[in-house]
Amino acid sequence: MIYFTENELVIPGQLLADNGRRNGFGTYVRHGKIYASTTGLARVVNGVVRVIPVSGRYKPQRGDKVVGIVSDIKPNAVEVDISGELTAVLKPSERESTPLMIDIGDCVYAEVKTTGIRGTVLSNEGLQRITSGLLVTINPAKVPRLIGKKGSMVQILRKESGCDFWVGRNGLVVVSGPNPSSEFAAVSAINLIEREAHIPGLTERVIQLLRKLRGGGSGQA
Amino acid sequence: MVKPKLIDENGLRIDGRRPDELRKIRMEVGVLEKTDGSAYIEVGGTRIYAGVLGPREVHPKHLELPDRGILNCRYHMASFSVDERKPLGMTRREIELSKVLREALETVVFLDEFPRMMVDIFIEVIQADGGTRTAGITAASLALADAGIPMADMIAATAVGKVDGTLVLDINEVEDKYGEADMPVAMAPHLDSIVLLQLNGRMTSGEIEKGLEMAQNAIKKIHAMQVEALKHRYRIEPEGMET
Repeated sequence: MIYFTENELVIPGQLLADNGRRNGFGTYVRHGKIYASTTGLARVVNGVVRVIPVSGRYKPQRGDKVVGIVSDIKPNAVEVDISGELTAVLKPSERESTPLMIDIGDCVYAEVKTTGIRGTVLSNEGLQRITSGLLVTINPAKVPRLIGKKGSMVQILRKESGCDFWVGRNGLVVVSGPNPSSEFAAVSAINLIEREAHIPGLTERVIQLLRKLRGGGSGQA
Repeated sequence: MVKPKLIDENGLRIDGRRPDELRKIRMEVGVLEKTDGSAYIEVGGTRIYAGVLGPREVHPKHLELPDRGILNCRYHMASFSVDERKPLGMTRREIELSKVLREALETVVFLDEFPRMMVDIFIEVIQADGGTRTAGITAASLALADAGIPMADMIAATAVGKVDGTLVLDINEVEDKYGEADMPVAMAPHLDSIVLLQLNGRMTSGEIEKGLEMAQNAIKKIHAMQVEALKHRYRIEPEGMET
């Protein structure tokens, strides 16, 4: 039995379900029943009851793609600052003969390999160094909206602005475009998404804004 | 000043309330911009802001725990919050209350979900009119929920007092000053557990039992207001959110 409607806002302590379901992020089990532990939107995904947080700082989870700034390089680890006061480490694999071509201050895009009491470790596979672009910070709780369903929103942004996007789950986003005006348009669109994430019809407004800015921008250039 | 008559011939209290009546309560969530979560509460003349920062890195570093996070709580009254100016800095009373409130909040927060991190809770009393610790913990739990800190339950609190031989709910400053007893109670309503219980004055065991029952009923009402305040803050209609 499930005690909430899809996407209902739940409060810590609220009873969510009482049998046979597994509990996912933002929930806990007491006496065999599932309760919410975070303020957020409750839903069932593949038989798992979970809560999508509506606020709060970024909490690293395995598999998340994040954007970070390299803050320190130590003999056997690279420290990466991933938004706020969180640091993650990148450990170059031992067999690798060529060292990571990374310097302090570089912006990197990587996947979270593990989290836990040993801290957050980033994966070497698929690690990218972002060479140029604008770094934008948004509320981590709004990132899913920026990505959209299966990446639909990012695709629209890419198509309409002509810029490349690196969207980190931690709320850091890098925009890199062919000229300043398109980058400016893309950043405006990101801000719009963050501000109006909860208002329906967002996709339409984003497209309109980008077309307007792009049209005006290319005219001036 | 002579002791005023706290219960009149109709059985009403000095501010016109019935013995089992709460003061007017107003709550608002997300009032401060530079915190991760915040709340404002008004209970009669008591006005309190609560702000939460974190989870963030532990400072000072030696307090860090490898297996769980720590809570840091600061209950503070503004100099102008009371009739006679409160000296600057933390008084003994404030230090003690900070500890008591922290211990109450620690019972519901899942500390093991953020090892090597800390959460700061700031409770600032802007105006005091009795019941600041109970209003403070109510606001702090709202601010924690607003900050997205994982916790088992919300905490709501109120006080029961004894004035002129009658048990009364949610006592104000005058009743606290001239009454016989003051018993603050904080509970986690869903867990059905008492997380804070203090008693200043004298009460019989029967009175304590009766008082706890009164507090429990009032706490359910306060908890409903907390839920309402949180829902008001996040009234959203999301669509197409990626999970």
